[in-house]
Amino acid sequence: MPELWAGLHLPGINPEKLQQLAVCAQRFTPRVSLAPPDGLLLEVQGSLHLFAGVAGLRCALMSECLRLQVQPVLAFAPAALAALVAARAGKPLAVMDLAQLTGQLAPLPLASLRWPPDTLARLARMGVRTVGAALRLPRAGFARRVGSQQLAMLDALTGRTPEVRVTFHAPERFRRRRELSCELENHALLLAALAPLFADLGAFLRARQCGVVELECRLTHRHVPATRCVVRLAAPATDVQRLAGLLGEHLSALNLPEPARACELRADALVPHLPGSNGLWQPGEHGGSAGNEACGLIERLRARLGSEAVHGLTRLEAHRPENAWAVTEPPPAAGRRGAQTGCSADAPAAGRRPLWLLRAPQLLCVRDGLPWRRGPLRLIGEPERIETGWWDGGEIARDYYTAVDIHGVRLWVFRERAAPHGWFLHGVFG
Amino acid sequence: MDGDAKLARLLEHPAIWRGRSAAHRRGLPTGFAALDAYLPGKGWPRTGLIEILVSRFGSGELYLLLPALAALTRAAAARWCVWVAPPLMPFAPALASQGVALDRVAVVGGARPLWALEQALGSGACDVALAWARQPKAREIRRLQLAAERGRTLGVLFRPRRAAREASAAVLRLSLEPITAGVRITLLKGRGAMRGAVDLLRPGSWPV
Repeated sequence: MPELWAGLHLPGINPEKLQQLAVCAQRFTPRVSLAPPDGLLLEVQGSLHLFAGVAGLRCALMSECLRLQVQPVLAFAPAALAALVAARAGKPLAVMDLAQLTGQLAPLPLASLRWPPDTLARLARMGVRTVGAALRLPRAGFARRVGSQQLAMLDALTGRTPEVRVTFHAPERFRRRRELSCELENHALLLAALAPLFADLGAFLRARQCGVVELECRLTHRHVPATRCVVRLAAPATDVQRLAGLLGEHLSALNLPEPARACELRADALVPHLPGSNGLWQPGEHGGSAGNEACGLIERLRARLGSEAVHGLTRLEAHRPENAWAVTEPPPAAGRRGAQTGCSADAPAAGRRPLWLLRAPQLLCVRDGLPWRRGPLRLIGEPERIETGWWDGGEIARDYYTAVDIHGVRLWVFRERAAPHGWFLHGVFG
Repeated sequence: MDGDAKLARLLEHPAIWRGRSAAHRRGLPTGFAALDAYLPGKGWPRTGLIEILVSRFGSGELYLLLPALAALTRAAAARWCVWVAPPLMPFAPALASQGVALDRVAVVGGARPLWALEQALGSGACDVALAWARQPKAREIRRLQLAAERGRTLGVLFRPRRAAREASAAVLRLSLEPITAGVRITLLKGRGAMRGAVDLLRPGSWPV
């Protein structure tokens, strides 16, 4: 069966658009192949009669490209690489017969083959600049001096050896919709109504060995626009029980404007998932790690409390107490910890620090020259002076004291060095 | 004679719990010798909910736990140390200087602290979970205690002093008050516990 390939050269196209175009091109033929970064190949021999020959197919392809706002060069040839190279060279050839292919390709520049620059430069020094000139060279010498890979490419170009190309498959997605027999508002009932959809999703994911990192549930109402509820996961999930549990958390936090008439589950991006093996020990026993439990805990907490509700802590090298710590992502699960990162051995010798810090210093009243908080504060020990930040506008100059209030609670207070010498509460020792 | 030996062997069964001698399960050293000697199990229990009742926030209750937290977070296969709804932000440099490994610490914010604590205790992902809750009901504390046993986690609940009169399912309840030289700890409830109070003098690692 002879082949006819349409090669599209799309200079400067981005990968998403190429993917999109490949999906659209499946309208013309089932055999679509990507030639990244900027090429697309279609095997169109079987579809020619549907579009009234090459001219009709060219028109249809060009209008499809125009719709996606890309400007391709389109060439037809009986070999895939030949069509692509002609398109790259900017020649909209339409060669139908394998016998004419070599003659038509001869004037094309060798650079369109995208060989390594030093190979091209070496050939150019020999006066070989076109495909025709390269084809005239003796094969054995060409293979020795230029490379057997390049010779194989020339063979594929002229159709001497058939080229095997990977067929493009559109990414799969999951969408299932269910009309409800009666309108529902209660989230537990909604979750029960979603159960068959979750069962479908589980079978779908199992068959493809994929997981999801994002799941969307749409609830359609009678009058108002659909409610969207998105579950995002820390790691790809295949377990639909867990997904259903997380969606339940989301739904329970949701205020529906109206009862729902239909529900739909969508998972657009599938992630390949290799099931791992489970540990022998329970977490906390012997060498049992807490990997999965930690992920699950974060997801459950975030699903109900919001994503910013869970965070880790880290400390920064800074003299200003406000800047000496920062919020980070939650810590990774246990068992995967690398080397201990400077935990305590390098503790600041700068002075005592309270275990609790106020978000912002709180102004204290002053009575008889001493700070006052529900009673007089007794200052103990020597003050610690922190005077820094003059270079970046956040200048501070403070004398920090430990103070004890009338209930015996130890506080971290400071007195500003600059007038008006206010007293502030900045931490609690705990 | 023979009967005694048999009885002793029977009583070694782990499911049998005997008032005062229940302490054959080693606890987690508190870091304070006086307190270790005073607590049943010679330390904090490794599993279960404990309550620390304080009259005022900041009376020294956190310093009491720090040596245990440092030991737990620096263990080889340490799980998390979760702080649920702390009233202020824990100051990272101070925790680090007391030996707590910050890469095991997670803070969970505000709303619904008891639910978050139950999740943390029951998940099995944490070694210890600390929480500050205003007025948990006896039923909720019972749920927390069950969750802590399920997840093999130590839960610490800080509550105001007036809660001492309420019943609680926690395995250990302590009341803490600051005195001039340190803190006084009174044991309110504990399996096989002694009565009375212990005074902890302020060690060097505490603020002056």
